[in-house]
Amino acid sequence: MKRAFAILGTFALLLPASAFARGVFDPTTEFEQHEWIPIHLGPLNLSITKAVAYLMLGSLLTIAFGLFFMRSKAARMPGRRETVGELVYDVAQTQVAEQGLPHKAIGRWFPYVASLMLFIFVVNLIGFIPLPLTGETWHGIPVWGIYAATSSLSVTLALSLLTFVFTHIEGVRWNGPVRYFKSWIPEAPKPLLALIVPLEVLGQFMRLISLSVRLFANMLAGHILILTFIGLIFILQSLVLAIVVVPIATIFYLFEVVIVVGIQAFIFAALSAIYIGSAIEPEH
Amino acid sequence: MFNVLAASVTDSPIVHAGKAIGLALGVGLGALGAGIGIGNIFGSMIQSVARQPELRGELQGIQWLGFALTEAVVFYGLLGSILAYVLV
Repeated sequence: MKRAFAILGTFALLLPASAFARGVFDPTTEFEQHEWIPIHLGPLNLSITKAVAYLMLGSLLTIAFGLFFMRSKAARMPGRRETVGELVYDVAQTQVAEQGLPHKAIGRWFPYVASLMLFIFVVNLIGFIPLPLTGETWHGIPVWGIYAATSSLSVTLALSLLTFVFTHIEGVRWNGPVRYFKSWIPEAPKPLLALIVPLEVLGQFMRLISLSVRLFANMLAGHILILTFIGLIFILQSLVLAIVVVPIATIFYLFEVVIVVGIQAFIFAALSAIYIGSAIEPEH
Repeated sequence: MFNVLAASVTDSPIVHAGKAIGLALGVGLGALGAGIGIGNIFGSMIQSVARQPELRGELQGIQWLGFALTEAVVFYGLLGSILAYVLV
């Protein structure tokens, strides 16, 4: 049963969606957003696109994950379910929350960073599972393809805007506006301050960019890498290439799934915790 | 004279070649730096675990944090060069 699933999955991965649908292959078309259900509220475009569908699926799966693994009754002999749940909780508690957040703020912000980590992990992971959500059909059958919602800059920018806003709200709430914004100014000789202060302010906004671009570009590059390697078969139009190209793509796929997916979720949550923590307790 | 040059230059193959070179240089130099950095991180990790194996758990978190921060440098290069490729 498991082997059948593995073989099916491999075959589904081998079918670059657009190549079968259109006969030509261009990896960048996998990342285009088409409005499936247009919703326009004035200037706001809230249409359901591929990314939105993946985000909805991701949120549902995250909730299911939490309910399934965290809500099991504590048994005397912990089963596999409980072990996985405790492992995830332990990473969120000791590696993410306690590293960045000061003790007095853990109760309030642990739920945020933990759910951020779980959500990004799930959204990243379903991006590597072939799903019939490409929006294209091949003789009436929906085409399977891989796409991650986090490989869209809007999604990651929205996530990092959350952290950015919470950071400054918390900073002002715990320290008061004057002390908080004063803490941005480092101790330095007066003439240097004119140079350093703009850099510090710029640095606060650079966090927004680095946080969002790190996740976005990692996922985008991973997907483009896999798609391009498999797409070489279609671009160069020779099936013999599959002998070389498919193992390489599989190696990259495994690298992405085993390492990058988890690391990026962990990093995003850990940096969010560090940013919020450093706003609550400025160094000086 | 410059007007003529600009008009003829925007769509010439040389411009495409320059864009491609810029893209490759941006990503390649970024990867060079990140490669050195990631090598450093894992090398230091191996050394410190060899010296004090009991600290492995604590060091691992820091190691992955450093790895991701360093690795992201490639993607800044990639993004910048793709922007240059698309916009210029």
